[in-house]
Amino acid sequence: MNKIWAIVLIVSTVALTVISPSNVLPTYMSGIGSALEFTFKMAVIYAMWMGINALMDKAGINKFIAKIFKPLTKRLFKNESEKTQEYISLNLSANLLGMSGVATPLGIKAIEAMDDKSGIATESMRLFTVINCTSIQLIPATVIAMRASAGSGSASDIILPTVIATAIATVVGVLLVKVTRK
Amino acid sequence: MTYVIPVFIALVLIIAFIKKVTCYDTFADGAMEGLKFAFTVFPYLAAMFVFIELIKASGVADALISVCAPVFTFLGIPKELAELIILRPLSGNGSLAILDTLIAEYGADSYIARSAAVITSAAETVFYVAAVYFSTVKVKKMRFIIPISLFASMIGAIVACLLCRFI
Repeated sequence: MNKIWAIVLIVSTVALTVISPSNVLPTYMSGIGSALEFTFKMAVIYAMWMGINALMDKAGINKFIAKIFKPLTKRLFKNESEKTQEYISLNLSANLLGMSGVATPLGIKAIEAMDDKSGIATESMRLFTVINCTSIQLIPATVIAMRASAGSGSASDIILPTVIATAIATVVGVLLVKVTRK
Repeated sequence: MTYVIPVFIALVLIIAFIKKVTCYDTFADGAMEGLKFAFTVFPYLAAMFVFIELIKASGVADALISVCAPVFTFLGIPKELAELIILRPLSGNGSLAILDTLIAEYGADSYIARSAAVITSAAETVFYVAAVYFSTVKVKKMRFIIPISLFASMIGAIVACLLCRFI
């Protein structure tokens, strides 16, 4: 990550300096500005859903969800503790329901719980991250809304191809993780 | 479907209340945690957004797309989708912007716009997820997480185009 970022930034900055040097600083600032705007938007979503999640946790709802996902999480993440498996289940179910706002902090908590402080990504971390990177909400609401407002004849008919494509991507990802196991 | 989230929230509140959870305090604690998360993540987002803006402004992104174009044509993927496929793992909002443009240009039910819609929905912003999920742990070696996710997403995109061609 560090190397890719450095190399790409060097090449891009040099290229932009040659093409249009007065744009270099504004581009950097614009990037940070966008990041800050985005962070504020996400702060609202995170605050809301972590608030709800705290309620869910205290009300025992999270344990219940974890129980439903147990067959799956036990299979894929058998070496992790109960609490970790709970975070994993919550993250996956939140993603499925399209609540990516709550899925992200839970995903972070899951990764934190998997950390063995070795500085190297553990098998569970890899598997979990790849599953997250290749999965979607079951109902891509935003995209469907965009198609509908542009006059599509059947805006939600992309759901099936989406589910198939994403399932295949996830399977490919999981297989690759297993194959590249140390 | 519009009922899913409202019903869910209502249920959570009701169940928590019945189980005698201290709702006001608990919600506040959770909200605070959420806020902290958002700002823990910010520096990494800053690095990612700068990355994306720079490659776009400097033309490096276009160069990359031109390099990849022959591969896409070989796979039967229209070059209009190349930019989307390359940008998708980098930027969710950027992808939506491209999707918007493609829908406006080709019509919502065209092969290109439908493939774009599926690609946007089926893939994830890989770099964002990887950066954010690891923002609080000190992991130096990611051990192929990103290449694997990118490759798997690419397969997903190809499948998406194929499916849209035949449906």
